[in-house]
Amino acid sequence: MKTVNKKLYKAKSKKVLNVVITYCVLLIVCFIFFFPCLWLILASFSKSGSIYSFDGFFPSEYGLDAFKTLFTDTTMYNYPKWFLNTLFIAAMSCIIGTILTILTAYVMSRFRFKSRKAMMKGTLVLGMFPSFMGTIAVYLLMTQFGLINQRWGLILIYSAQAPMGYMVQKGFFDTIPYSIDEAARIDGASNFQVFMKFTLPMSKPMLVYTALTSFTWPWSDYILPKMLLQDKDLYTVAVGLMSVADDATQFARFAAGSIIIAIPIIILYFCLVKYMINGMSAGAVKQ
Amino acid sequence: MADLSLKHIYKVYPNGTKAVNDFNMQINDKEFIVFVGPSGCGKSTTLRMIAGLEDITAGELKIGGEVVNGLEPKDRDIAMVFQNYALYPHMTIYENIAFGLRMRKMPKDEIDKKVKEAAEILGITDYLKRKPKEMSGGQRQRVALGRAIVRDPKVMLLDEPLSNLDAKLRTQMRSEIVKLHRKLQTTFIYVTHDQTEAMTMGTRIVVMKDGFIKQVDTPKNLYKYPANKFVAGFIGTPQMNFFEGTLKKDGDVVHIEFKNSDAKITVPYSMLMKTTPAYLDGTKPVCIGFRPEDISLDPEKIEKAHATIKVKVSHTEELGTETLVYGDINMQGNGFDDTGTRIIIKSEGFDEYAADQICDAALNIADIHLFDAETEESILPRIPEFNYIDCSVKGRAISALDVDIALPPAIVCAEGSGELLIPPVAVTFDGDIPATVVEQEDINGQNLVTLDVNGKRLYALSDGVLAEKEQKIALDFKRLTIKTGGKEVAPMPEINGLDGTFAMERVSEPVTKDGKTKNKKVAKYYILMDGVKFPAPDDIANKMFAALSGRKVFNTQFRYELPPDGLAIADEGISAEVKAYLDYGRDKYIQCAVGEENIYVRCDKEYSGTVKLYPDLEKVSVIEKDRGIRILKFIYFSL
Repeated sequence: MKTVNKKLYKAKSKKVLNVVITYCVLLIVCFIFFFPCLWLILASFSKSGSIYSFDGFFPSEYGLDAFKTLFTDTTMYNYPKWFLNTLFIAAMSCIIGTILTILTAYVMSRFRFKSRKAMMKGTLVLGMFPSFMGTIAVYLLMTQFGLINQRWGLILIYSAQAPMGYMVQKGFFDTIPYSIDEAARIDGASNFQVFMKFTLPMSKPMLVYTALTSFTWPWSDYILPKMLLQDKDLYTVAVGLMSVADDATQFARFAAGSIIIAIPIIILYFCLVKYMINGMSAGAVKQ
Repeated sequence: MADLSLKHIYKVYPNGTKAVNDFNMQINDKEFIVFVGPSGCGKSTTLRMIAGLEDITAGELKIGGEVVNGLEPKDRDIAMVFQNYALYPHMTIYENIAFGLRMRKMPKDEIDKKVKEAAEILGITDYLKRKPKEMSGGQRQRVALGRAIVRDPKVMLLDEPLSNLDAKLRTQMRSEIVKLHRKLQTTFIYVTHDQTEAMTMGTRIVVMKDGFIKQVDTPKNLYKYPANKFVAGFIGTPQMNFFEGTLKKDGDVVHIEFKNSDAKITVPYSMLMKTTPAYLDGTKPVCIGFRPEDISLDPEKIEKAHATIKVKVSHTEELGTETLVYGDINMQGNGFDDTGTRIIIKSEGFDEYAADQICDAALNIADIHLFDAETEESILPRIPEFNYIDCSVKGRAISALDVDIALPPAIVCAEGSGELLIPPVAVTFDGDIPATVVEQEDINGQNLVTLDVNGKRLYALSDGVLAEKEQKIALDFKRLTIKTGGKEVAPMPEINGLDGTFAMERVSEPVTKDGKTKNKKVAKYYILMDGVKFPAPDDIANKMFAALSGRKVFNTQFRYELPPDGLAIADEGISAEVKAYLDYGRDKYIQCAVGEENIYVRCDKEYSGTVKLYPDLEKVSVIEKDRGIRILKFIYFSL
């Protein structure tokens, strides 16, 4: 009896120890991950606004001044304009990019044509190169087309690059039984009607996933807007905030701007996380 | 409600794989046709070509008399039921069934009426508001059927609709589909790999293997008269017993020896009269088939049987109404392995047999099946290929069937005795040789007549049922093979073949439009035979383009085939050197040489030297040489 109790006690202790160690590790990781965000949030509430006025790591006094000046003082840093620019570019890129990506994926999944395999291999190989490798070429092209310092130039780039990532969507469409398309064709639907009335309604998770990823990239991109937008009034938030960050006395404003720009994405993700997970794992298992 | 015509349908994939080879079939209105065969035989591919879901590589498909090769599925007025139902998951059952009608812009109230009617027929009225995921497999299949029938299609296509159902439901749905066919009176084409489904449902069954049709016939005829070993083994459960052996004709009897065993039987020759004589010499290996139900262990039947065989029993399977007795005709065999001497016998009731017990089994010779061991084709066909008649030739007369017949001038054969091979189609009913009609059999639309000519059996084919028992027959000598004095006179070839190509020329032609005449360049198509151009009729040109897209058709070699009456002597055409004048009595021909080809042309007088041959392109058959695809075939009637 004593031996049995000892064994049970040992097993229980081991379990408790495992849990404690696991949670300690998790706490450390959380701290490493969340501390910069926490620090930024606290910095955005700094009353003085300057990073030099911080008491050690954290601000000495707190207030909402940075948030107020972000939207009221637009003489040097026109944050509301940048926000609207970013929203416009991201929204249009999202709409056009989603349409192009979904259509590309649908064609690659459903149709068989001569250059199909070559195109798939080509996009796969091209996708392995980092996107900034084409930056200079993009700049020269946009100069030729007269799209430098134009928001539509950026929208064009984002929309054109979006379909390169069609493989996830194609994988999803491959899981939709082709016999449904055939049944619809026999019933009288054209290829476009099959796509609109059957494929799309069955692809809601994938549509949301594609839209989210097409929205997120232009929302937070820095390199392309920095290269193509020269006018301060055309800046996106990413470019504009970097100009604010150069001024150490405006650090709180920079932090506040970073918080504000993150809020819409956070809300979107929280609202659509269910679709995101469905979209990412859709097609993983044959039904 | 329509008939279908499939003529020389091929499906060849870009990598050269031939999924369907030369598929020819006429499907009558309201028939229930079943395509059956093992996986990969081309049955689903053929169905999908009919539906328009696969392109037809070559051939012509007609639905209701209209060529539909280039038509979209929605324009063919067909409906299809898929193996996995293919229901629209995001729509309700009502919307699933109504979708096709909505696409056709039918009024709402009419759609509603039709949907409810279809639901009523199939017993799914209560489920119209549900989604497919809320239905069972059988219910989903009914919805799929409902979606098909609601459109009143000309042809219903069903692609293994019962494969995903359990055995009990399958049996139930089978009856439902048969009932539906009777109610709708529409042509049904059903694909399955299950021979039980095929036999119970079809009015006619198409047995396929490796892209070829092996046999097309009613279930009864497929069972009783399989044309080859594959059909014989595929139809019937348990499978037919096959034994290797030899046949030796000895006077009025035939000795059958079974290989790898001591088993031997002797049967009257009268029961095997339609057997191809070449296999009766005791040397050619043949495959002997008996169905388990045509072998009996009943002592009464054994007593009356023409032939019995010893069987060493290995084990039995009791199925309730019958017992399957497994054994071996080789006394050293074990009856378990699928060897050439294993035998399965269907015994009625619960008779018990001990392992290693040796018993007699009666063989029903009337239902024996014989196949060539190599080609696996039946050597006991329903319509014999030839009548093999003993004959002798003296001077200009041949003596056969106890009658002396004058040889036509075209036939020059060696004197002496020998054998005359008469195909049934070479016997005509407008001669002066007396014959008595013994039996008439309708075999797939052909009337096989068994005649008695001076006590000798002769098979003939007639256009219709003969009313008179006494007939006067003649022989069409150009179709006969005469083997006498060690030499052979072959029949005249029925087909002439010439190689050639297909070409296009742009010619300037006056075209009148709005009262004004202008010269316009118009494409003209030509068939080139032996380098000579002949204008191609539009339908032939269309079929050539359908088989070979783009400019490929102009770079391809073709084989053009014409019957002897498809060529005529003319002032211009293909140059031919006359080799011989063939007078067969009623019909006269000339044999010419065109390059290395021998060409036979019907004529009304003798010719010599060089002549010009002009083809009748309405009678041409076209074969693409590279892929061996028959693009066009002219059906040859009697010469």
